[in-house]
Amino acid sequence: MSTNTIEKNQTHEFKNVKYILTSSMRTLILVVLYNNRRNLNEIRDELKKPSATILHGLKELEENNLIKKDRKYYELTSNGYLLATNIIKLIDNWYSIEKNKYFWNSHDLSGIPENLLNKLYLLKDAQFISSTTSDLSNAFNTYIELISTSPELTIMLPIYSENHLKHLIRLLKNGNLKQLTLLINTEIFQTITKSRYLKKSLIENEKVKIIETDENFKIFLTFCRDFMTLTLFFKDNHYDDSQIIIDKHQSAIKWSKDLFDTILE
Amino acid sequence: MVINEKYIKSDMMFLVKSEIRLRILTELNARPQTIKEIVDKTKMAYSSVSNNLNKLENKNYVVKENRIYTITPMTKLYFNQLMDFKKSIDVIENFDSFWYKHNISHINNELIENITELYKSKLIETSPIDIYKTHNNIKKQLESSHNIKGIVPYIHPDYPLLIENILKNNGKVELIMEKDIYLGLISQINSDLKNRSVRNGSLNVHILKNNLDIYLLICDNSMNLGLFKNDGSYDQNRILNSDNPDSLKWANTLFENIKSRVI
Repeated sequence: MSTNTIEKNQTHEFKNVKYILTSSMRTLILVVLYNNRRNLNEIRDELKKPSATILHGLKELEENNLIKKDRKYYELTSNGYLLATNIIKLIDNWYSIEKNKYFWNSHDLSGIPENLLNKLYLLKDAQFISSTTSDLSNAFNTYIELISTSPELTIMLPIYSENHLKHLIRLLKNGNLKQLTLLINTEIFQTITKSRYLKKSLIENEKVKIIETDENFKIFLTFCRDFMTLTLFFKDNHYDDSQIIIDKHQSAIKWSKDLFDTILE
Repeated sequence: MVINEKYIKSDMMFLVKSEIRLRILTELNARPQTIKEIVDKTKMAYSSVSNNLNKLENKNYVVKENRIYTITPMTKLYFNQLMDFKKSIDVIENFDSFWYKHNISHINNELIENITELYKSKLIETSPIDIYKTHNNIKKQLESSHNIKGIVPYIHPDYPLLIENILKNNGKVELIMEKDIYLGLISQINSDLKNRSVRNGSLNVHILKNNLDIYLLICDNSMNLGLFKNDGSYDQNRILNSDNPDSLKWANTLFENIKSRVI
């Protein structure tokens, strides 16, 4: 293959993505027809565009076998349906990432493995809780309250925080927390071992399973059957205790479990 | 969601509008590199690469440090959504004749959203000089498989013997099929073997009142998908075949999904 052909292929590599996404008319028609077949008037009412513009888009899509016309009604072909489903998926994911964009943008995400980073949209229903100047520990308090009622917890703890450990020990003692899995790095493990109190209440506690790793992960993740929470580090390597993401949906809990398993590996 | 021009976000538009930006991001998604490396690799003009890198840097899609450009995690996240979308278009276009004018109503939305898992599949099509190509391919897989699962809307005359052999070798067979097709199949299988296999669970057939308009056969390490045409007839000339683990997972999900719906 000559350089010339390589060039040509590569230039056209994104041709299809461009074709679909850079014409709002083509995309919009596919999305409108996704729900139901429509005639021209109905499409026009929905898109609020002149007939000529819509007809032009319809003609193009028909030529590409993405829609077909049956008497007065336009409907998606099987190819059109496959495409429209994936357009909607793309846009939905894009929106859901955007919803908590501020949180994602202001933190160091490099610790999240790529395959899970790509699925960040699974946290689409996540609630973003931030501390305010009038309530500096809003995020922390919300977190403590949330974990108080859960009988089992899995936590990836990247920081040595007596405050967090103290609350976990309290929950273990009062019997609410029956099973705690704690993933920590060697340094934190050793620090815990140095305190006789922490050693006794955590390391020697049969309700607690401690997994030690050499990896310095930068993710504070907690999950159980009913929820997941995530706090992260700033890009300057400082832990941010003022912002937390909480999600109670299964998709997010599953994401957390996958993240935990990946880091374990 | 309101369906208007704003449906496609302006940042998405910014990325897809330029082929050059997409190619730069493809390069940087693989690894951080300098302008020169990108230019050498892509053979694009230095000026357009540099110009677009500046635009990307100004909008915080990439960061520059010591002449090396790195894609930010957020850009990676967005870019990979686009790549995934591109891959889904490829699956639709590469197998255009397989999907077009065929009935896909048995494939649910979740599976369509994960259609990229079929990316590494092969489309096997008969040709005038090899009209049994699809069947022979499936036959070969059945001959070498220990366990099979399938949704079979018709019985090829070879099937009874092939299934009999799997059962004789202590393999497992799970099928979803319409009653008449089941009777046709079973009448040709040794009845002792059939009774024994049903009793010990190695032959498990879910019988339906109506035929399903889809063909799915999952062998030990391969899957085959066949579709019906829009006119209601089965398209014997095309099979989507794959031995890729992602495609196998996809096929198994489809099988379980249809099973839970019709049984």
